[in-house]
Amino acid sequence: MANPLKLFYMAVWRDLLTLTRYKANFLFSIITSALFGLGMLLFAFAFNTSLLEETVGSANYVAFAIFGVSFQSWQSIALWRASGMFQGELNTGQIDYTFSCPFSRYWYIVSNIAASAVQETIFFIPMLCVGLWFTKETLTAMGLMLGLVATMVSVAALAQLGTIFASLVLKYRQVTAIFGFFNFAFQMLTGMFIPLQLLPLPLQIIGQSLPQTFGMDLLRHYVMGTKLIMAIEYEWALLFVQLMALALIAKLAVLYLERVAKEQGLHYI
Amino acid sequence: MCDDIVKVYNSGGKSVTALDHLTLSAREGEVFGLLGPNGAGKTTLVRILTTLLRATEGRANVGGYDVDKEESKVREIIGYAGQDSERSAYFRLSVRENLLYFAHTLRDVPRAIAIERIDRIAEAVGFADRLNRHFTALSGGEKQLVIVMRAILHNPQICFLDEPSKSLDPVTARRVRSFVKDYAQKHGMTLCLTTHNMLEAEEVCERLAFINRGRLRFIGTPKEFKRRVEVKETIEIGLNTLDTQVESSLLRLPGVSNLTKGTNVRLYCDDAFDILSDVVDLMKRSGLKAPVRMVEPSLEDAFAFLVRDDEGEVANNG
Repeated sequence: MANPLKLFYMAVWRDLLTLTRYKANFLFSIITSALFGLGMLLFAFAFNTSLLEETVGSANYVAFAIFGVSFQSWQSIALWRASGMFQGELNTGQIDYTFSCPFSRYWYIVSNIAASAVQETIFFIPMLCVGLWFTKETLTAMGLMLGLVATMVSVAALAQLGTIFASLVLKYRQVTAIFGFFNFAFQMLTGMFIPLQLLPLPLQIIGQSLPQTFGMDLLRHYVMGTKLIMAIEYEWALLFVQLMALALIAKLAVLYLERVAKEQGLHYI
Repeated sequence: MCDDIVKVYNSGGKSVTALDHLTLSAREGEVFGLLGPNGAGKTTLVRILTTLLRATEGRANVGGYDVDKEESKVREIIGYAGQDSERSAYFRLSVRENLLYFAHTLRDVPRAIAIERIDRIAEAVGFADRLNRHFTALSGGEKQLVIVMRAILHNPQICFLDEPSKSLDPVTARRVRSFVKDYAQKHGMTLCLTTHNMLEAEEVCERLAFINRGRLRFIGTPKEFKRRVEVKETIEIGLNTLDTQVESSLLRLPGVSNLTKGTNVRLYCDDAFDILSDVVDLMKRSGLKAPVRMVEPSLEDAFAFLVRDDEGEVANNG
């Protein structure tokens, strides 16, 4: 049976080849990423920075928003990439071939999400550089490293949710409405653009149960020196608990939904 | 291979029986054909055997492994090329990159062996010059050929090809048929292919099963299948249609048991020589000018007969 590492690096190889063959798209994605970072400057002028400083201990909205947006790009990959891949495979009929092959469906999904995250990183780097430029007063190498580790754990937890959504595609085929709903909720409730502490308490509680909240909070804390939502050890612990719990649910969901989907067939036709 | 398999689909609140207590088995190392008209249940059966679909009732095993309980073991030993799967690869990768990705990643073939095999197989099917083309730049038939190559690249113990030559031109189809058969024999591979191409079944299959309306109607060699046409001789008339009056007159001729219409009209009888002149006379009287000749019954005749019998049975029961 194919091992997960091979599934991952071969998916990276496949995706990078595909990516570079759409040359205009490739180039413009990089340019857009840099422009997005600079565009955040405009938001900074419109935002009440004294309120931000009071809440999170930093008035640097440009960096605050850029790290939120960077999460948004990885969040999209982690949550929707595998669903998109399955929808593509359903449309072309490739799913019949792939699902007749001997590999763990769970690792196939997770490896493909990870491969896409690698691809997305290429486009994310220009935007991150702009963000880091605006945090040069607080930035340290250790802070950046810890921030990126927190990001990775958080994205890994999100990928488990993405795996659950992908297995829903096997059964229900069309789940774009679910995507839209969750995407909106995740943007609003996790402190991506507005500090979580400014939300009403019930929404804060929901926000704290979502995997990217603590990842984003820790990244900003390590890189920008912002105040945390709760004690740092609790945030790390909750992040790992979320990762493990969601991984377990995702594994079960894939097993169950593949079995259910096979009642009517995996193919579209 | 499968024992008393039933598959019922739910379609718009209605139950549709695709396989109706089907029992059949293929022998190790043989080329086995699943024959039947559209909607007979061939693809459903192949999907059950390749672990893509669950049977409603009954048991099936492939290579000694239960398709439901030991599905990963089954997947280890099978190869599969689905029907209408000519879009099922990465469009912006070359043929070589696609085959390498599928063989090395999903089928665990070591990289060097996969590369060597891709070259060898492509050479054998006359595809070596197109290995570096992007998948998207291939014609429909060429794409289908790549999908067939993908199915055998890892030397599976049992390979399922669902209508493998459906979109291939006759020359390529023949080349692929002969290559796949040779390859299967050389590697001791059991080949199970679905088709409604009679020529393909006759050329490639050592044994075949004829399925219609989800039920097994026949299992045996192509020769035995042809013998199912319970007539000694056949007269072929070079027309593809007949008016009902001429048709019933032909059916009233002595010894005539049946008539089918397709590319040509075929008349099945006990003694073709005996009624040949009557057929010509009848054609003349009806003002029809077309070649009339005696021919050997073909596999296609057997196919048409079995489908027709089933339709008659349904009409009588209905």
